[in-house]
Amino acid sequence: MPKQRIGYFENREDPESICSRCRTCELICAFHHHQVGNPRRARIKVVSLGKGEDIPVTCLNCEDPPCLNICPTGALRRTEADGMVKVNEAVCIGCAMCVNVCPVGAITLDPVTGVASKCDLCDGDPQCVVYCPAKVLKLTDAGQLARYRMRGFAKFLQSVGESR
Amino acid sequence: MSIFAGGYAGQILYVNLSDRSVTKKSLTRQLALKYIGGRGFSSRILWEELPPHLDPFSPENVLILAAGPLSGTPAPSASRLMVAAKSPMTGGIGDASSGGYFAPELKYAGFDAIVFKGRSPEPVYLWVEDGKAELRSAKRLWGRKIHETSELLKEEIGDEDIHICAIGPGGENRVRYACVVTDEEGVNGRTGVGAVMGSKNLKAVAVRGSMDVRIADPKRFKEGIDAYRETLSGEVWTEVLRRLGTPNLVEHRQRLGIWGAKNFQRATIDEWRNISGEAFREKFLLKVMGCMGCVVRCRRYSAIKEGPFAPIYTKGPEYDTINPLGAKPYITDPAVILRAHHLCDEYGIDEQTAGSSIAMAMELYERGILKKDQVDGVELVFGNGEALLHFIEKIPYRQGFGDLLAEGTKIMGERLNAPYYAIHVKGLEVDASDPRSLPTRALTYAVATRGSCHLRGFPYIDEFIKPEEAQAFFGTAAVSDLKALEGKGKMVAWSENWITVANLLGLCVFAWYRSRSFPMLIKRGLEIANELYTAATGLPMTGQGLYECGERVYNVEKLFNLREGFGRESDYPPDRFFQEAMPDGPGKGSKLRREDYDLLLDEYYEARGWDKKTGVPTPEKLKALGLP
Repeated sequence: MPKQRIGYFENREDPESICSRCRTCELICAFHHHQVGNPRRARIKVVSLGKGEDIPVTCLNCEDPPCLNICPTGALRRTEADGMVKVNEAVCIGCAMCVNVCPVGAITLDPVTGVASKCDLCDGDPQCVVYCPAKVLKLTDAGQLARYRMRGFAKFLQSVGESR
Repeated sequence: MSIFAGGYAGQILYVNLSDRSVTKKSLTRQLALKYIGGRGFSSRILWEELPPHLDPFSPENVLILAAGPLSGTPAPSASRLMVAAKSPMTGGIGDASSGGYFAPELKYAGFDAIVFKGRSPEPVYLWVEDGKAELRSAKRLWGRKIHETSELLKEEIGDEDIHICAIGPGGENRVRYACVVTDEEGVNGRTGVGAVMGSKNLKAVAVRGSMDVRIADPKRFKEGIDAYRETLSGEVWTEVLRRLGTPNLVEHRQRLGIWGAKNFQRATIDEWRNISGEAFREKFLLKVMGCMGCVVRCRRYSAIKEGPFAPIYTKGPEYDTINPLGAKPYITDPAVILRAHHLCDEYGIDEQTAGSSIAMAMELYERGILKKDQVDGVELVFGNGEALLHFIEKIPYRQGFGDLLAEGTKIMGERLNAPYYAIHVKGLEVDASDPRSLPTRALTYAVATRGSCHLRGFPYIDEFIKPEEAQAFFGTAAVSDLKALEGKGKMVAWSENWITVANLLGLCVFAWYRSRSFPMLIKRGLEIANELYTAATGLPMTGQGLYECGERVYNVEKLFNLREGFGRESDYPPDRFFQEAMPDGPGKGSKLRREDYDLLLDEYYEARGWDKKTGVPTPEKLKALGLP
């Protein structure tokens, strides 16, 4: 089974199918995992870049994960079911070495518990995907994501062809 | 540690700008249960702490930023921030709310509200982080527009993710209707709260928080979220809002002929299609946006990428952009409207009063009451977009004729000896629509405690309530008849108490007040909202109890205004609506009849338990509400 991850599927042709910065994903993530309102405990974040550009960022679930490789305590482990790297909070010492090496910043230290915190795909039913009002977050894998990108590129080629 | 099991942060921050002291007070259970939050806290604090007849620009005026108990939780669309003070526009209760991210962040930083008193000797901003707060110099920020202010603050604090509310040059120079802008996008527009902030030499508040907003009963809360979302799915109004935003109302205003164009000299606009929701979507929309946790996503994000105004990137427009900057000055070029909107936001002035003041001046100029040399040599006629843009850049600095425009229409009318052309109630300009053909709207605008306001009540219940529901709930089927007057005073009073509940909880009315049916208003607005409130806080409350809190807050605002001398006469619409019939459109020939309006107001006062002659709440009513 390919390794699962949350993918961002925007459609620039449709103003309603682009991340709208409502941050529902952050709110519901923190609520699901900690039963509180606190986006700084979420494992997904909408990064705002100005001029209306907002991109949700979360764990890419790498094939060869630097976080897992560097963890000195064995607190990070890969699960069988979806291949996701998960944190054993009882073992984690909060050294933040994983934070240092993650290429996208998707693993953080929880501001309340002080130990590592990252996306766990909610055991197969990611709440950010369920609640995203724009429906731009999907449970996916790198293969699907690549095909979506290819489709976008093919449409671009088509439009170039039409304009010739 | 908070005494509350959830919802509330449990602390109110008091900042004395005169002596730079910052103190924290625990939120009491009694204040929470009687006033809930948001506008409830702000109105209660203003009524309790201000002496009567205070100059709104005096250091003694109090400026309040308040979140609701649901702000910061994953409850849908609970992002509203209430900013309140004694209003320099009306001299009565002043408040304005905005969506965005500031109110939730304030909760994550550990506070339900911030109360500012005094005046700083020099420009300052307040930095709030995780239960701590300090005043810092804002000398470097003073004079800056909103966007620059945000950029500089983010740079100074070294974090792109802080949330900011700030004033622009409008607030610094005490433009009477200056606003407070959060995160460059959410505008606390009306009643001049930004001018009060400026009078205190307070340039901005920046906040960052990583503390939990706890939820007392997470399982019930989750069920409440799902139930609330369920009531919104398939709601026609919600889908229209997402597609077109509030500018969807342009078509509605044209169809009913209630524009109030040319300072209420025209009811329709021939070129309305140029400035419709569809037109703005097609020309400028980059994407739809949602405030924190929003399921509706009515906010627009627009760009002008070519032409003389390019580049502009801005939130908006709203219907209440197009009304004051399009209809009132009769501008039908959408790029000019968007440009004017962006300037108002950047300078931090309320576009509703700015557009209304310029439109009034246009009428006075066309009537020869204002001469060219009085208006800086500008050809100040309806439809002149250059003139509109010219004065929007003069108002924030009070330059030339901009100095008088910076006072709003009421004072313009007094100074120019032309009060008839100042279309306001209690000093605040009539927004939204021309109510001459729709008396219940006239009542709603005229009795609103903050001055003319279309969101202080919800009179459109008569458009969808069934006769049997009207009979059962309001005691007369006539409430379901658009033309009837009977029962409407009662309906308006009920709708005011009901819609106030959203302002107390921190919920956005756009996810709240429109509905397929009247029973749905009660179900979503009171029952599910109460589920969310009680599950979040663990406090004992009922839907009816929330409604009574809404009524209590409304009465406190009335008491505040009465103390300032507002009597029955202040609850009347502008004279023009009684004197002049509508000149065109479907409502042509309509005007308000004084005897009709008297009846409506009598019934409204009676429904409220207020004395018919004076508007003073009866002792029985006050006792029932536990006031004072």
